[in-house]
Amino acid sequence: MKFNDLFGGLVFLALSGLVAIASWNLPNPSQQPLGPSAFPLILSGLLALCAAILAINGARTTQAGPWIGLADWARSGSALARLLLVPAAVIFYMLFAETLGFLICAPLILIVLFLAGGARPLHAIGLSLAAALVIHSIFYLALGVQLPWGPLEPFRW
Amino acid sequence: MLDAYVTALGMVLDPYVLFVITASAVYGLVVGCIPGLSATMATALLVPLTFFMPPVPAIAAIVTTSTMAIFSGDIPGCLLRIPGTPASAAYVDDSYQMTLKGKPELALGIGLWFSVLGGLFGTAVMMVASPAIADFALGFGSVEFFWIVMLGLGGAVFIGSSTPLKACISLLIGLLIAMIGMNNPAGQPRFTFESTEMLGGVSLIPMMVGMFACSEVMRHMVSGGSAPHAVVQKIGPIFANMWRLTKQYPWQLIRGSALGTIIGIQPGSGADMAAWMSYAMSKRFSKEPEKFGTGHPEGLIEAGASNNSSLAGAWIPALVFGIPGDSITAIAIGVLMMKNMAPGPTIFVNNPENVYAVFLVFVIANLMMLPLGWAIIKVATRVLSVPRRVLMPIILLFAIVGSYAINNSLFDVGVMLAFGVLAFVLEENDFPVAPVILGVVLGPLLEEYFINSMIKSDGRLIGLVDRPIAAVLAAITIGIIGWTVIASLRGGKPSKQPAQG
Repeated sequence: MKFNDLFGGLVFLALSGLVAIASWNLPNPSQQPLGPSAFPLILSGLLALCAAILAINGARTTQAGPWIGLADWARSGSALARLLLVPAAVIFYMLFAETLGFLICAPLILIVLFLAGGARPLHAIGLSLAAALVIHSIFYLALGVQLPWGPLEPFRW
Repeated sequence: MLDAYVTALGMVLDPYVLFVITASAVYGLVVGCIPGLSATMATALLVPLTFFMPPVPAIAAIVTTSTMAIFSGDIPGCLLRIPGTPASAAYVDDSYQMTLKGKPELALGIGLWFSVLGGLFGTAVMMVASPAIADFALGFGSVEFFWIVMLGLGGAVFIGSSTPLKACISLLIGLLIAMIGMNNPAGQPRFTFESTEMLGGVSLIPMMVGMFACSEVMRHMVSGGSAPHAVVQKIGPIFANMWRLTKQYPWQLIRGSALGTIIGIQPGSGADMAAWMSYAMSKRFSKEPEKFGTGHPEGLIEAGASNNSSLAGAWIPALVFGIPGDSITAIAIGVLMMKNMAPGPTIFVNNPENVYAVFLVFVIANLMMLPLGWAIIKVATRVLSVPRRVLMPIILLFAIVGSYAINNSLFDVGVMLAFGVLAFVLEENDFPVAPVILGVVLGPLLEEYFINSMIKSDGRLIGLVDRPIAAVLAAITIGIIGWTVIASLRGGKPSKQPAQG
């Protein structure tokens, strides 16, 4: 996602406003002259200043054009789809790791990503299983991290 | 001091620590060698593993990985004309030309031999200078530390960046992220959105993994690309001409190492800028500048020594003041804090053996680079042919599990993803990412120093500059910022090499 500097500046300006509002009324139980709201307020002021300069520079230099453009790569649907696979894979793991268990969930993610990268199906399956096992061993056997087992619980080693 | 060194030596020569150093060395060499996997990414991916180690091996792993990766970034630069890490970009033309002339072993040998010498030079400076600076800094109060942090952040944004305004915004985002949670002088929950997971603030490890590994995977997914083919298959004896070159270009070696160390010390610029500036300086003072870029060893020697010496240089402010010089030292400081070894001048008094252990790890890592570097060069053509589309999904899985492993928390996996996306979007729009991590690491300290200084002076701003050292530091900081602002108002931005990583 590419946005022009005018748009970016306005987004950061809005962010600084939100920060200022959120920090304005923070409680100050110890009654210090500078409570918990002082520092975030200073930061939001500086951010507003930088964002305003960015927006003004952006407005001066960019001619009329889309505020949010797509980068060159995003015009190709396949590149965009491959990009979206990354967050999709992480979210899939967050949702299903507990129920499916690591040793099912992780190879599934890897197979999809390998196939998206153009690997041959058999290669993808073999590699996924091997890689998942190696990573599992590093964290479970060597570091003692409890990765979820899911339905494979009876086979826990 | 000698006692502490003996204790430190004992700590480092422990078999477990030596094993960690060797394993990290091989890992760093391989990752640095693969184009598209940067030294920063190598280091960030390692952090979840260091979480499970005692302090000394944890730091040893970080130091060794980054040292090795900076050197082995030279290898794909030489064989493929693709720098493995940004720090090798400056002299990629010269080394690739040597390969085309059928002398890849010369370029790789120079990269290895002079990296080791530069690294040892930087380490020696670090060993002598940092205890002395720490001794001097023992008298510093919160005001001085406030300005030192400001100087570090100002340097990172206004010197180390080609787009100061955007770097400034990145830094402020990082500082604001650091405000999340209860870790502030008043102990109040801030910006937690009523979520208990956020009370402790954003956890550093998932964040670093997301910003430097997950975003890298996303970038690869967009650009695709297959493994390029190396033009050479055979690499001759590597160390054959090195002694002759050392005698022929001693001055270049010393100048490169010294400049690299200084650039490393100076906050906000790291190995890549050291290489660019040393290459330029070498050309400027050379008797035969017309040969630069055509496979001439002189610039390679100076810049190759420079980028490795800067790595050690960057550790001086990191250890003495807790100020990271670049993203790798920012990661290292995060690890130090995690291990209850918060850097600062007192660490030299309270735990000198830990600091000396870091020094010794630098020495060992640089010495170990000779045999292991030789080995990686010999197998380089095979390592280079490992396709990235195989590695990237595995890296993503490693990033997921690594973030999860710290607290057994899926929330941290979400944090990893969020920061991966943030870093990806920022970089797409030319906002540098390194200032974000500097802001997050230094934000809590900066606030604490600021609030404490203000309380001491009853809320009057003059309290920030009424001590002599503080006033000098303030003047330098404001000078750097003012100079950049004036230069950019005059139209032309101050000319800089692109800094990243």
